[in-house]
Amino acid sequence: MYKTVIEPSKGLSINLKEIWKYRELLWTLTYRDIRVKYAQTAIGFTWAIVNPLFTLLILSFVFGTVANVKVEGTDGVLVPHIIYTITGLCGWQYFSEVLAQAGASIIGAQNMVKKIYFPRLIIPMSKAITAFIDFGVVIVIMIICMVIYQFPPSDNIIYFPFFFFIAVISGLSAGIWMSALTIRFRDFQHITPMLLRVGMYATPIAYPASAVPEKYQLLFYMNPMAGVVEGMRWCIIGGNPINHYAYVSFIVIFLLLALGLIYFKRVERVMADIL
Amino acid sequence: MNNKVISIQNISKKYEIGMVASGSFRETLTNAFSRFKKNKLKSPKDNFWALKDVSFDVKEGEVIGIIGRNGAGKSTLLKVLSKITEPTSGRIILNGRVASLLEVGTGFHPELTGRENIFLNGSILGMSRSEIRSKFDEIVNFSGIEQFLDTPVKRYSSGMYVRLAFAVAAHLEPEILVIDEVLSVGDAEFQKKCLGKMGEVAYGGRTVLFVSHNMGAVRALCQKVIVMKQGKVAFQGGVEEGVNMYLEMANENMSENGEVNFSVKNAIGSEELKLLSIRLKDQGGNIRSKFSTSEEITFEIEYFLTDPVVNMRINMRVLTVDDQILFSGSSHNKEPHSKNKGSYTCSTIFPKDVLNEGVYKIWLQAGCPGYKELLPEQIYIKFSTEKFTSSGTMRDAILPGYIAPVLNWEITQI
Repeated sequence: MYKTVIEPSKGLSINLKEIWKYRELLWTLTYRDIRVKYAQTAIGFTWAIVNPLFTLLILSFVFGTVANVKVEGTDGVLVPHIIYTITGLCGWQYFSEVLAQAGASIIGAQNMVKKIYFPRLIIPMSKAITAFIDFGVVIVIMIICMVIYQFPPSDNIIYFPFFFFIAVISGLSAGIWMSALTIRFRDFQHITPMLLRVGMYATPIAYPASAVPEKYQLLFYMNPMAGVVEGMRWCIIGGNPINHYAYVSFIVIFLLLALGLIYFKRVERVMADIL
Repeated sequence: MNNKVISIQNISKKYEIGMVASGSFRETLTNAFSRFKKNKLKSPKDNFWALKDVSFDVKEGEVIGIIGRNGAGKSTLLKVLSKITEPTSGRIILNGRVASLLEVGTGFHPELTGRENIFLNGSILGMSRSEIRSKFDEIVNFSGIEQFLDTPVKRYSSGMYVRLAFAVAAHLEPEILVIDEVLSVGDAEFQKKCLGKMGEVAYGGRTVLFVSHNMGAVRALCQKVIVMKQGKVAFQGGVEEGVNMYLEMANENMSENGEVNFSVKNAIGSEELKLLSIRLKDQGGNIRSKFSTSEEITFEIEYFLTDPVVNMRINMRVLTVDDQILFSGSSHNKEPHSKNKGSYTCSTIFPKDVLNEGVYKIWLQAGCPGYKELLPEQIYIKFSTEKFTSSGTMRDAILPGYIAPVLNWEITQI
């Protein structure tokens, strides 16, 4: 028989067992999001393609054609700028989707939060899974570009899943932070789009991180996505091994995750009362 | 059967007014800064105890009604029990799987089909996919929406929507079921079906906590009631006693001066009916609360209908101080079949020379029978009667009996 004790909570630890118990809800919510966002409306899925495609074209145009950034792959071979950009964009696109969706996710699910109990963390988590679709779309665009430009991936591609994993953690931790902050302070609804706009330029999507002056490198890699984007690109294009500063960005991600979970837990206690 | 399934021990829940509420970032910064500067805690005035030291036990298979006026803490208690919000202190031990139903259709998505929503809602309520699959046909049958199973629920009528939502909820099979007034939705026929289904649940050995304002449902379903008042348990025990206490509690704002008035803003009633006033008048039209047993009393209520209604009626009872029904009446003979939006008065006259001396209470309720309640049953007003004798002779005692009709004696010698 189940036995539950309800008490004012003390610690700040996350109950992973409980999240596992609620995994079916996680799948169901993810399924709902996917159905509602992409499958139901033809437009929805079109946007999932159009959005990254245009971002790709504009970034490639501005950095590749206007600013004429030259990028090299393995053995100093020039890489078509569009390939360079899309390999950077795939991680970022995923991250920005998770951050945007997860940030508003709990506010969006407030009717549920106020009426039923489940580990609230499931909500941003489901957004991180839903965004796999967007990631997939960009990957398909990337493969198409690579076919068109006859650009085979480098051998490093076997590390790609690892960087994708880091991207998921990164998106999730930023999403957890934003969802909790948005409940606490509604202002954060407006902060997320701003962060994403700044982030798109502060992340080495269409230009190499090495172009950033040395004295700003540490600050530059404080951006959690800087390392991931560089890493993903290294997997596809190859070339110089990742800058050691990239580890700063990985450390930032795990700090972000750990602190995010603690903060989320704190807000979770009063979530239903303040929504 | 005597196992304690729910044990609630000194549960308190405090809300800090204004402090915790989701505010703007700037506000919080300013607050934090001023607190830092003054190093002062918020005054206790800003605290509000929604629950204070609530303790009770529930045994296996018991169906308990939780009743109380708005703001008495019932909903907060259910929220704490369903883990939606944390208690400030105390603890609750639950032995068994809990499902709470504070709303039907939680998580329903308008874009998804009925079928998808059954799975979605089911898993939100804590059913596993396999459980839902095994009960799927039963749920669909119960809801009666087979043909529309693959239609997005946004195209459903509100009745269909509620039926589907309730059908899912009705098929939950936890050991402990916590229900908030979900029965106030849906049409009468479906409500009856739901009550039946809940009755099945109730008699199926499951433990149920049931919050309701519908005393009929409480009487029909519950074996025990808990009356909450200002965040505390005011009474626990038998249903009749508890329900009477609940009705009695209404007396606290019961008028004793022959008149009750509500402003349109806080009018009692329902969405359709707003009760504006209740008055007791003498033959001269003066509002009074003390009458002579030898005068007629006009009872008048005034209400506003925000929507047209069909087949409504007002039911009235005159009760003695000890809650015995002296007589009752209903306006149904004189009500038109349908009534338009607008203000109405409804009045009747209590004949003279019938009531005994004493204090009486008037119970009222309005509704469209079998369809919906427009005015919740409650005791609204009180009046008293005295016997003034014209002769002025001192009478030593009130005549025994609930009523004291003036009888005409005829004496003849035969």
